[in-house]
Amino acid sequence: MASLSRLSPAIGMVRSQALAPLSTAVRTNTTAPPKKEKTKFGPLSDEDRIFTNLYGRHDWKLKGAISRGDWYKTKEIVEKGHDWILKEISTSGLRGRGGAGFPTGMKWGFMNKPSDGRPKYLVVNADEGEPGTCKDREIMRHDPHKLIEGCLVAGRSMNACAAYIYIRGEFYNEASNLQLAVKEAYDAGLIGKNACGSGYDFDIVVHRGAGAYICGEETALIESLEGKQGKPRLKPPFPADVGVFGCPTTVANVETVAVAPIICRRGGDWFAGLGRERNRGTKLFNISGQVNNPTTVEEEMSIPLRELIERHAGGVIGGWDNLLAVIPGGSSTPLIPKDVCNDVLMDFDALVQAQTGLGTAALIVMNKNCDIVRCISRLIDFYKHESCGQCTPCREGVTWMMKIMHRFTSGNARPEEIDMLYELSKQIEGHTICALGDGAAWPVQGLIRHFRPVLEQRMADYGQQKKATG
Amino acid sequence: MLRLWPLRQVVSSAGARFIPACQKSTAPEPAPELVEVFVNDKQVFVEPGTTVLQACAVAGIEIPRFCYHERLSIAGNCRMCLVEVERSAKPIASCAMPVMKGMKVKTDSPVTKKAREGVMEFLLMNHPLDCPICDQGGECDLQDQSMNFGSDKSRFTDIAFTGKRAVEDKNVGPLVKTIMTRCIHCTRCIRFASEVAGVEDLGTTGRGNEMQVGTYVEKMLQSELSGNVIDLCPVGALTSKPYAFTARPWETRKIESIDVMDALGSNIVVSMRTNEVMRVLPRVNEDINEEWISDKTRFAYDGLKRQRLTTPFLKDANGQLMQTDWESAFLAIARKLQGVEGSQMAAVAGGLVDAEALTSLKDLMNRLGCETLCTEEIFPMDGSGTDFRSNYLMNTTIAGVEEADVVLFIGTNPRFEAPVFNARVRKSWIHNDLKVAMIGAPVDLTYEYEHLGETVDVIEKLAGGNHPFCKVLESAKRPMVVMGSSCLQRSDGSALHFMVSTLANRVKAASGADAEWRVLNVLHRVASQVAALDLGYSAGVSGVREAKPQMLFLLGADEGAITRSDLADGAFVVYQGHHGDQGAQMADVILPGAAYTEKDATYVNTEGRAQLTRQAVTPPGMARNDWKVLRALSELLGVTLPYDKLQEVRQRMAEISPTLVRVGEIEEANFFKQAIEATKAGKTSLGKEPLVPPQQVLKDFYMTDSITRASPTMAKCVQAATEAESSVH
Amino acid sequence: MSKYIEKISRLFRIIKENGGVLGSVRTVFRMEELKTGTLVGEDELGNKYFHNPMYFVGRSRWVVYSDAAGHDYDGSQVPAEWHRWLSYISDETPDKADLPKYPWLAKHTENQSGTPQEYVPYSTTRPKIQAWKPKTEEVYRKHF
Repeated sequence: MASLSRLSPAIGMVRSQALAPLSTAVRTNTTAPPKKEKTKFGPLSDEDRIFTNLYGRHDWKLKGAISRGDWYKTKEIVEKGHDWILKEISTSGLRGRGGAGFPTGMKWGFMNKPSDGRPKYLVVNADEGEPGTCKDREIMRHDPHKLIEGCLVAGRSMNACAAYIYIRGEFYNEASNLQLAVKEAYDAGLIGKNACGSGYDFDIVVHRGAGAYICGEETALIESLEGKQGKPRLKPPFPADVGVFGCPTTVANVETVAVAPIICRRGGDWFAGLGRERNRGTKLFNISGQVNNPTTVEEEMSIPLRELIERHAGGVIGGWDNLLAVIPGGSSTPLIPKDVCNDVLMDFDALVQAQTGLGTAALIVMNKNCDIVRCISRLIDFYKHESCGQCTPCREGVTWMMKIMHRFTSGNARPEEIDMLYELSKQIEGHTICALGDGAAWPVQGLIRHFRPVLEQRMADYGQQKKATG
Repeated sequence: MLRLWPLRQVVSSAGARFIPACQKSTAPEPAPELVEVFVNDKQVFVEPGTTVLQACAVAGIEIPRFCYHERLSIAGNCRMCLVEVERSAKPIASCAMPVMKGMKVKTDSPVTKKAREGVMEFLLMNHPLDCPICDQGGECDLQDQSMNFGSDKSRFTDIAFTGKRAVEDKNVGPLVKTIMTRCIHCTRCIRFASEVAGVEDLGTTGRGNEMQVGTYVEKMLQSELSGNVIDLCPVGALTSKPYAFTARPWETRKIESIDVMDALGSNIVVSMRTNEVMRVLPRVNEDINEEWISDKTRFAYDGLKRQRLTTPFLKDANGQLMQTDWESAFLAIARKLQGVEGSQMAAVAGGLVDAEALTSLKDLMNRLGCETLCTEEIFPMDGSGTDFRSNYLMNTTIAGVEEADVVLFIGTNPRFEAPVFNARVRKSWIHNDLKVAMIGAPVDLTYEYEHLGETVDVIEKLAGGNHPFCKVLESAKRPMVVMGSSCLQRSDGSALHFMVSTLANRVKAASGADAEWRVLNVLHRVASQVAALDLGYSAGVSGVREAKPQMLFLLGADEGAITRSDLADGAFVVYQGHHGDQGAQMADVILPGAAYTEKDATYVNTEGRAQLTRQAVTPPGMARNDWKVLRALSELLGVTLPYDKLQEVRQRMAEISPTLVRVGEIEEANFFKQAIEATKAGKTSLGKEPLVPPQQVLKDFYMTDSITRASPTMAKCVQAATEAESSVH
Repeated sequence: MSKYIEKISRLFRIIKENGGVLGSVRTVFRMEELKTGTLVGEDELGNKYFHNPMYFVGRSRWVVYSDAAGHDYDGSQVPAEWHRWLSYISDETPDKADLPKYPWLAKHTENQSGTPQEYVPYSTTRPKIQAWKPKTEEVYRKHF
């Protein structure tokens, strides 16, 4: 659950509405200097590729990483200070890659309030557990130094004294590689005391989780890091005020952190030259499900969905016309049917317009061979299992939804229960402490929105079958 | 974890940012600028940092809630308190959200109503419909709020397919009954246990819909305050085991009264039905018990129904106590007293006696020429002794702990001698950075303290200024020294008292506390002691032992301080009280009196605060109110007491000590300098034995007086606590 | 005239059967009645049963309670089998009637009301207050 809390643009909107000064900041942040806007996005050219060892064909260790350009002039970047780094990140228009797409430059800037004596921490959310999402693990096992260098740069931008990398417990090999890479970096003097010879002290600790999806929620992650049950905290206070061990903390996604050094090296303008306005840069897309060639690929933001699938994943099994629906942003986002898929762009704003979200950019493709009701029912099973049980709507509501979805799968229900289910999902959405409830409600809403006739047909069939068998 | 330093620093530095209600101390703060908030278009001004829920309360609107409780930290997990706030896309949890300037809260908008209804529907989805057999019925938050805010019908169609969740009940000891299927996971009990009671026994296991509240492993909830979780539980998941299936709240009459199980005088409500005490509940009094009471206060009421003295008894020719009537008992006393000199008489008052009875007894005995009137509990009488009230009171007051910055406990275990006071200290320790130190046997106080040693020479060193801890005491702005009355029971009690007074005066002078701040505190153990000392009783029975009287009058004296061997041969012993305990067994005549739930009486707590109990039930059988018994007896003895009505007794009390009739108030007592000057040091030397409070572990706590010794529930508690000690968990 | 003689002679006979003037006075004092009849039997308690059809039905059978009862007699002292004859349920006296004997038949007892053996229904409700009982036995043993 890569930062479910920041999952949806809707929540971003909530925040910007609740906090008046914030919304203006959003605007200033994204109003880039006037220049000619592109109209065609993707494919990404090789020189703009950030993750050059995504498929593990090269050496992932320090030597290989340096040969690919990592740790190049990191000392200079660190020495330029936090204002410069923040400016570059802001210019780049980078939005959080964990799901919610909150502007990174602004978020990291929250940490630069006058210090009250408490240390500050960067926490890297590597608890990638969202079904369909598999981007962070590729970074951590094939390019861990990108992440470590990113921690240093991001940590410098907020003057943090240490970074905790909270890695999902199931990622054994990833944690091993990451730990080795951290040791290499320490041994090479890149981090630790006087990191890179810049005079800046920065430590990195890798912490393995114990296998709970909810620990990918930023405050639950903080709780888990503190050794407590991974249950989301109430906000406010936000982690930037009271975070891990009571100190100001920023929780950032692996991908967000990992792209920070290259943005600083090549300049924010380069990054901002990719993708649409407000949706800048490159992004790791995970394409899974009923495609010929499931893959994780780095592409330019705003690439059309159809092009993404056909160019990189070998197309939908049975051809594009066999497509039924796509979940575009990991399991928490509502699905979109084929007619929407035809021309939607893969970025934050376009997908919000399509009543879904970019999320973690994990596409789950379903063709006409799949039982769409059962697919969504299985997702609800997952959310029911991973609900922390702290707050009522999620604990009780998701279980209820699961019970209904199980019956919908077989058709053992009445058509008016479809409306009831939709209402229930609305009663969960927005009423919970964290965004897991929203993430559980949206798939159901998407299903009802686009596939209501399928549900009704199934109930009618069930009724007839029952009548026939007596 | 509760004392995580950065959190507190944020709270103290930012101040206005985020202060949960429970963390508010009574210490006055400089008035900050108020924030303007609109609740349903009604303008209210509240302090910054107040939550939306509190702001609504200021506007006179109550927000429904389950998990939120004023005295606990904010969990925000029930979501019942969701309200719509203008310019916010989704409803906010009003219990946790601090107010912001110009916030417009709508508490009865469609969004708010829909949110509440939704949450209520989810809560009821897995809640059993067993209200008719549920002990919470009639005082259940879930019932009330589903009536007010819930839907009028159920949509839970899955009841026909998969049904509701069922959870196994847990055995958490003889006091709290659990029906865990009813639990709505508000976590109030967990927060109470870890924050107020200071035991980490309760918690959640599992997650999602399988989450369960419990003790992780099956064990007793080992806390002296465990009964409060019953009040806190908004549903019937945690109910009282002794009260189970006995009464409904609407059947009972509630009488506001005072507890006498310890010297704090916790405020209680006695629930009565058909002349029987059904249960005891706490009553809010911010100065004393907030809204907590100890398990002894809450559950010892069944002791009021057992081992009671219901008729007078008189020893027959065979030396056997036989039931008799009032007249014969009085006549027997009158006959025996003929020819006995006043100097040959003595009276001893026990720990549960009210001020009215003490007054009557003193007047009666004085009229008979007797001056030997003692209390069972010892308090040093040497030097200034009990002449100055400040010598034997908790001068800082119970609520005063929240202003203190250092507390030094001497020879006491406040956790069991005054559980509610200990909870106050813990609260202060968590939120106000209170430093606690202790001299005496090391005991578990539920919070950390510096253990300075077990023996009295540490006090000597402290008083002389040659102890490292002196620095802490001297740097304190508002230090407190709390001496347990249990340690004054020793033979060197007076020397100890003098030493501690010296220490307290030294600390006060060195610390630069203002003149009104009082350092010396005595924590009494029994409810009657302060009133008895106020009335001029001499503390301790040494006077009786010296006099070897012919006639002894025991007024509720059951601790066995005096035995037959202390008296003259063939001495005549009269016992007046409500329970057949040690005192009654050694008596020649027994006069049945009333217990604290059966009379309107005055008790003075350890702070010197007079409080009234109210009669909830009538005394059983032929038993009568104590002062009336003494008044009737005086008439037969020919020394009729000059009062016939309760008001007249109280007038007499006011003549002796006006503080006894100033109900609910504390009189200033500040004569420490004079007290020290009047006391001659070194009369007795300090002993070498360590200071060991008599109640050290939980099992010592439950049975301490004649009521609790008669209580079957308390006996079960002792058994369970003893078993829990040897348990592997 | 003979009517009166017969009545007077019956009076004398009754007085004679009741043990003379003194005996008759005693009988009247005890039974408040002076009758004559045939003794038809006696039960195990010593009650004697008389019959005289000269009296009209209802008064023609009577019992003279055993002397052991003294003045403290009442109807419940009549055993059930004699009650059968005495109340005209049957004309056969128990020794003539072939009454069945069962092993479970209890021995007749008179009404115990007012005696220490009387039956008192006990309360099934819990007493609200349990009174203290002095440890008398211990004291007793100690002293004697």
